[in-house]
Amino acid sequence: MAEVNQNENKVMDDLSSQFLTFYIDDAIYGIPLADVIEIINIQNITTIPNVPAYIKGITNLRGKVVPVLDVHLKMNKMETEYNDKTCIIVVDIHEMQIGLVVDSVSEVITLTKEQMAAPPKNDEYGYSQFLDSIVEMNGKIILNIDFDKFFKNDLSEI
Amino acid sequence: MSTIDPGMESLMEAFIYETTTLLEQLDEIMLESEKERNISGDNINEIFRIMHTIKGSAAMMGFTGISNMAHSVEDVFYIIRENPSYLDMVCDAVFDLVFQASDFLKQEIENVQGEDYQENDPTPIIQRLEQQAAIMKGEEAAPKEQVDASADSISDVPQIEGGNVHYIRVKFEDGCQMENIRAFALVNQVKDLCEELKTVPENPEKDASLCEEIVQNGFLLIVKPHNSIDEIEKVVETALNVQSYEIEQPPALEQPKSEAVEQPVMEEQPPVSIAKQEAEKPKSQPQPAAPKVNAKQSLISVNQSKLDHLMDLVGELVTAESIVASNPDLKGQRLDNFTKSIRELRKLTDELQDVVMSIRMVPLNGTFQKMNRIVRDMCKKLGKRVDLVTEGGETEVDKTINDAIADPFMHMIRNSMDHGIESVEERIASGKSEVGQIKLSARNAGGEILIDIADDGQGLDTHKLLQKARNNGLLVKAESDYTDKEIFHLIMLPGFSTNEQVTEFSGRGVGMDVVRKNVEKVGGSISIDSTKGKGTTFTIKIPLTLAIMDGMDISVGDTTFTIPITSIKQSFKITDGSQVFFNTDGKEMIMLRGECYPIVRLHELFQIPTEITDLQSGIMIQVESSNNIFCIFADELIGEQQVVVKPFPPFFNKYGLKDSGLSGCTILGDGNISLIIDVRNLVSDR
Repeated sequence: MAEVNQNENKVMDDLSSQFLTFYIDDAIYGIPLADVIEIINIQNITTIPNVPAYIKGITNLRGKVVPVLDVHLKMNKMETEYNDKTCIIVVDIHEMQIGLVVDSVSEVITLTKEQMAAPPKNDEYGYSQFLDSIVEMNGKIILNIDFDKFFKNDLSEI
Repeated sequence: MSTIDPGMESLMEAFIYETTTLLEQLDEIMLESEKERNISGDNINEIFRIMHTIKGSAAMMGFTGISNMAHSVEDVFYIIRENPSYLDMVCDAVFDLVFQASDFLKQEIENVQGEDYQENDPTPIIQRLEQQAAIMKGEEAAPKEQVDASADSISDVPQIEGGNVHYIRVKFEDGCQMENIRAFALVNQVKDLCEELKTVPENPEKDASLCEEIVQNGFLLIVKPHNSIDEIEKVVETALNVQSYEIEQPPALEQPKSEAVEQPVMEEQPPVSIAKQEAEKPKSQPQPAAPKVNAKQSLISVNQSKLDHLMDLVGELVTAESIVASNPDLKGQRLDNFTKSIRELRKLTDELQDVVMSIRMVPLNGTFQKMNRIVRDMCKKLGKRVDLVTEGGETEVDKTINDAIADPFMHMIRNSMDHGIESVEERIASGKSEVGQIKLSARNAGGEILIDIADDGQGLDTHKLLQKARNNGLLVKAESDYTDKEIFHLIMLPGFSTNEQVTEFSGRGVGMDVVRKNVEKVGGSISIDSTKGKGTTFTIKIPLTLAIMDGMDISVGDTTFTIPITSIKQSFKITDGSQVFFNTDGKEMIMLRGECYPIVRLHELFQIPTEITDLQSGIMIQVESSNNIFCIFADELIGEQQVVVKPFPPFFNKYGLKDSGLSGCTILGDGNISLIIDVRNLVSDR
């Protein structure tokens, strides 16, 4: 077991400075590439009754049942129509696979620690509740999401 | 022995499996015997065999603690086997000790499987076992009150039955050192020439302190040669460091036996006095191993993960088959031959699935048996008298389920013993038989297994329960609104414990809520029934198997649901609107053949947008759960299908989907996901 972890760590080292960026409305968000399993096109999602609206339901990922969340709704933004650019990013959070619906996937970027700035403490939109850091790159602002903060409510009681 | 050589892993697995099975057997025998307060000859031999096997394999694996423990139990039973009447003297102590030994071994086996195995010290139990052995032997060896711990098993002087037995006393050269090892080497040399061979002292190689004894008394070989004694004499003669040897007369029979180790045999005494009063009685083989010849069984043990994998594959196969059979490319085509072939395929997969399922089925007997043990221990500790009656132990359940319910069982039995059954005095005072009863019974009911755990104790006190719930802030409605059943169910809420004092058995911070959780994990449920003063009955309902079931797919809006075929009574269209009416509290009801049933509109229940809201344009499915019958209203029937049940991802745990009537989901032939309806919970709040 220990060996496997070590190997994983090595791979993680290479990935740890890389981030996948995606769009929600006009804002660019980044998530650690190491947590990303794959990106799939929007596909059939089965709705689940009696759950918050941002949980769109479950989808079939090659025989695996994966919950799908709409990042728009999770961030309390208006829901948008899904189009051919809409993607599901499947991420691994605490050994759970979760699909995230985003407007479109942008690119993979490499960031160094020095580039990352702490999120503002008292922002009026409450971003800092789920942000890990903010990066300015080529005139664009990238907001890095901290999954543990982002899914705080979802991960309790599991 | 902190780590285990990777190459030993499969050996290790076999060892653990074997030892666990043997220990379970041991418990069973001991419990049975304790009831009769006697151990039958067969059982003594069986215990002996079990201990001997454990000793051997533990020694092979290098677990000396386990091996020593098994060895000392074996010793005690060696004496008992020789003379069963001794058992009466030490009956209770021996039973207790053997149970303790068995617990110790089980604990060790568990520890061995952990990461850092540290051997525990078996000495305390071994010493007490040796004391008992000494007490039994005390009768024979009159002056000896206690056998020293190092005496090991030497005190029993072996004897060989039948004729042509020779006694050879060997003296080694003075000062040749390591006499015990030399004796051992000699034994090895002679061994092959003998039909039977015993030595005094026994197992010289094990204890260097035996050297002195060998120097003083010589080393006695008791042999029954294959051919003639001459051969053996020759070997002894030429053996290294042998100074002299002499052939002795077999000792006189009526001589009292002496302790060979501590009391060097006097010169004037016959060399060794083997006699026991029962010398004429047929004795067992000198090598106590002599295992019962087992009827050859063609069983193999398989790693459970392989079975799980097989099950998964069969599940995938079933899904793949549906994908082929209901492939959209085939829609609207006339395919007589294809349909025939598919039917054939379906038959085969069905059969395959049945076989795989049956492989995973195990009877509940084993789990029930373990409960016997708990009842026994708790009786002793609590000073209560309780009989455990088991029924239907042959009922088979999936291995996963069997494993998952062992803990809840244990906990519930403990609860019943501790809180349910009264003390002997109280029982007599309330006119009950002083021996309480806990009844464990299992039975098959449709696709489910019902297991009752019933005690005839004091029952649950609704007032106390309510009060307690109030104090803990667990009540959600007015107290007078609670039915008895609801009050009983309060005890399964987290943070509820009715006993004021925390006791050794029931109060480990694990309550009935954990029991409920464990049962629910495998798709089961618990209900409680209790009558004050008469007793309490817990009923656990669990599905027969987890994985695959026949389901009817129905659609509501864009969502597909699957209802287990076993819960469907019939489906029909409403043609006559007058069948439907509203009862006083506004619930929709339907009249069918003179009986009326509530209607559950799925689209309303689950808030799914659909165009079909008129009862006459949709479809009604009459379903039955264990406690009621009602009609589900859906848009349309899609068709019957075999589905592989998948649990919801853990992400949904907090939303209590199970309680709202969804037991899981399944992947349909077209790759979409259908939600499986659990009829039992769909209307539980109604």
